[in-house]
Amino acid sequence: MTITLTVNGVPYTRDAAENKTLLHFLREDLGLTGTKEGCGMGECGACTVFLNGRTVNSCCVLAVEADGASIETIEGEAGPAGLSEIQKAFDRNHAVQCGFCTPGMILSVKELLKAKPKPTVAEIKEAIEGNFCRCTGYEQIVEAVLDVTGQGTGKGRLDHV
Amino acid sequence: MVHEFQYRAPSSRPELLALLQEHGTSAKVLAGGTDLLPNIRMGIAKPAYVVDCKRLPEADRLVFSPSEGLRIGHGVTISAILRDRTVRERFPLLAEAAHELASHQVRNRATVAGNVVNASPCSDMALPLLCLDAEAVLASVSGERTVSFREFFTGPKATVMKPGEFLAEIRVPAAAADRKGRYAKLKRVKGHDLGIVGVLLASAPDGLRAAVSSAAPTPVLVSGIDASLDAQAVDALVQKAIKPIDDVRCTAEYRRYMVGAFIRRLLPEVNR
Repeated sequence: MTITLTVNGVPYTRDAAENKTLLHFLREDLGLTGTKEGCGMGECGACTVFLNGRTVNSCCVLAVEADGASIETIEGEAGPAGLSEIQKAFDRNHAVQCGFCTPGMILSVKELLKAKPKPTVAEIKEAIEGNFCRCTGYEQIVEAVLDVTGQGTGKGRLDHV
Repeated sequence: MVHEFQYRAPSSRPELLALLQEHGTSAKVLAGGTDLLPNIRMGIAKPAYVVDCKRLPEADRLVFSPSEGLRIGHGVTISAILRDRTVRERFPLLAEAAHELASHQVRNRATVAGNVVNASPCSDMALPLLCLDAEAVLASVSGERTVSFREFFTGPKATVMKPGEFLAEIRVPAAAADRKGRYAKLKRVKGHDLGIVGVLLASAPDGLRAAVSSAAPTPVLVSGIDASLDAQAVDALVQKAIKPIDDVRCTAEYRRYMVGAFIRRLLPEVNR
């Protein structure tokens, strides 16, 4: 089936197999490999993308369902001036170790900050409950979000590392 | 995905119903896809046709009127329930349960209709719908019928729906507006996880209601509980209605214990 969609503002028209997930379409057909496949079952959040302005697990969406949709992936996060503020905060706070969860984690944080510009720690934890990180123990990720929202120490609180 | 199927995205209800009539059990309706697509991937579901119901113009309709009550279209997502001010203010039980369902990404995609059609014993949305006397509008090429959620579930992953039928809409009567209650759900971790057992305790004109998930082959409703009873007496009534099993998540004994614990915890909040 031929589908037309916009990814990070760029329009694409492609043939997509009817049983192909949006995740595999992004990675294999468009070469956008920033979106990761973890569990493939909608549990881990590594494949999180924005679909028409809301985060979804792209492993649980068919490419053909996204016909006409607007998609945002991690590749759209950095602008011409470099990394986004969320990305810089992840960098500053050592919120990335292996990096596999990071694309999805950043997009979930982005959705949170659209709704809540100054989230509490509880709200941050709730917002990323669908994004599994097996490296950081989440502490540095929470700190990065506090930092980017002006609630952090500004230098990272790494006494637990 | 290894399994191949044909995708159809009808743009009207008659077109969708004709497809379901033609293909019967070889067709699966695709709403949010958060259950169906993992099931296809795991080989649990092998539909020849996947019929996407989200392109119907009425899919996302979520409206309340004092005459017709709350009407939840088949494509209304769990997130849409949480965002809707009327739902939050007039049907807080729906929001209580919606908030506990899976993760942000899943709630943005999963639908209320899909959650009940799957008929998992651990369905979150079944509990408020039972407590609110909600009904399912089932459509087929031969017409519509309305089934109360009290009669809707017939077993694990089984409902009264026949091949060719489609859950077109969920209706919550206006008389059920403003019912208050609290929901508690036991999970292995605080975040995103399937429920081990869940209890929704709510007040209704005929007394207290307890709706319980993951403790019987279907979600269970106990209604007409005398509101002056203490937690121990309420628990005794609920224990008679449930039939929990031992499984990979926990034992039947632990489920029974936690149902009682949740009733003791929630009852003072509901009676307040």
